[in-house]
Amino acid sequence: MLQVRDGAGEMLGVLFDRYQTPLFNFYSKLTGDRTLSEDLVQEVFLRILKYRQSYRPGTPFRAWVYQIARNARIDHFRKFPRERAFEPEMLPPVVPTDSAQEHQEAELLHRALLQLPEDKREILLLCRFQELKYEEIAKLLGCELNTVRTRIHRALQELRKSFHQLTEATLKQANAAAPENLPPRGGRHEV
Amino acid sequence: MKCEQISELLPDYLQGGLSPDQHHTVEAHLQQCVDCSEEVAVWRKLSLLPVEQPSPMSRVRFEAMLQAYQAGRSNEPASGPSWKKRPSSWNFFHWLRSPFGAAAWSAALLVIGVFAGFRMAGPKPLSPDIAEIQKELASTKQLVVLSMLQQQSASARLEGVSWSTREQQLNPQVLSALLHTLRYDPSVDVRLAALDALSRHSTQPQVRNSVVNALQEQQSPLVQVALIDQLVEWHDREAKPHLEKLRQSQDLNPAVRQRADWAISKLN
Ligand SMILES: [Zn+2]
Repeated sequence: MLQVRDGAGEMLGVLFDRYQTPLFNFYSKLTGDRTLSEDLVQEVFLRILKYRQSYRPGTPFRAWVYQIARNARIDHFRKFPRERAFEPEMLPPVVPTDSAQEHQEAELLHRALLQLPEDKREILLLCRFQELKYEEIAKLLGCELNTVRTRIHRALQELRKSFHQLTEATLKQANAAAPENLPPRGGRHEV
Repeated sequence: MKCEQISELLPDYLQGGLSPDQHHTVEAHLQQCVDCSEEVAVWRKLSLLPVEQPSPMSRVRFEAMLQAYQAGRSNEPASGPSWKKRPSSWNFFHWLRSPFGAAAWSAALLVIGVFAGFRMAGPKPLSPDIAEIQKELASTKQLVVLSMLQQQSASARLEGVSWSTREQQLNPQVLSALLHTLRYDPSVDVRLAALDALSRHSTQPQVRNSVVNALQEQQSPLVQVALIDQLVEWHDREAKPHLEKLRQSQDLNPAVRQRADWAISKLN
């Protein structure tokens, strides 16, 4: 049986349970690649183990983890340059379904997100999904707080535009396919 | 107000960081500006994106990585107490197995050290960050409790039980470990301490069940009396048939039988 000489093992187990899903989602929504995302999550935990001395108690732990996560991704793409960037066109088309409108919206939004340039996508993921504060993001990206605000606004603007376009395109497709089969909207009766 | 000015406020609006005045200004603008309100809508819609789950193999890989890392670090031959055999109900600690054992005390020291660090470094008002790290540490502490409950020395296990009482909420693993300690720990003192710790969590149904079941299993009069007292304290009427059964068991300590009689009258 292994002898362990410090408490790192059990600490890391807790951290893994807590952060593996958020980190996995950060990577998978950023890269659209599940396998790569799982590899990167492993890399993050190995780095946490190696560099745990560099964490200063009293500083936001989450921000420290995402610092490591960003670096792991940057290093990965330095080592293995992408042959081509992720193309949303590689995805199968969204088939309009009238039953699960919310699901369809999510799918379109996901695509819109993947169409954003990577830095815009990343900043949205950091503040919307990883729940980092703007100050933490500023530190992470090495920029001013106001720059973070501006970038978030721009990213959101662009996301809105591509989401809008994708929605229009899908609607057109739906109307062309079955214009008379649209379900009645707001069909709830007054009692 | 113009969109440009609003756009400066928008990011803070989205995270709820505006003053009431500014908040009002933004809301008023959103009422009449399609572009800005769509931007807010898109932000809100982002919550529709599903949380994806990593594959279960991820955990397995992580374990392997951890072991490999630790094997690489510990070049010296293994020494010290060998791993204690535990009944199969301890299998749920399986995933924790390798990092545990002799590490307990150093982990405890580490946590204490970090806490001391807070006290010295942190001024009174708890910033959300510190609260978050404390949360992080609270679970680390629970892990330390788990590992201490598995120690060979009774005083270490006792310490583990008493650590568990410092947490208001116990995670399920710590709770199960304490229940296990109550039933099977070889030391009477540790079993009594476990009962005391568990009595704070009587709202958990499995705690009451275990106390009732322990009634039939325990041989030590001290523990039996403590269990009976606990049931009376909870006014647990459902325990009555179990107490009846106990008082009828052969070679029961007379003091325990007396206590059981008293408890039955109390629960009437
Ligand atoms: Zn506007």
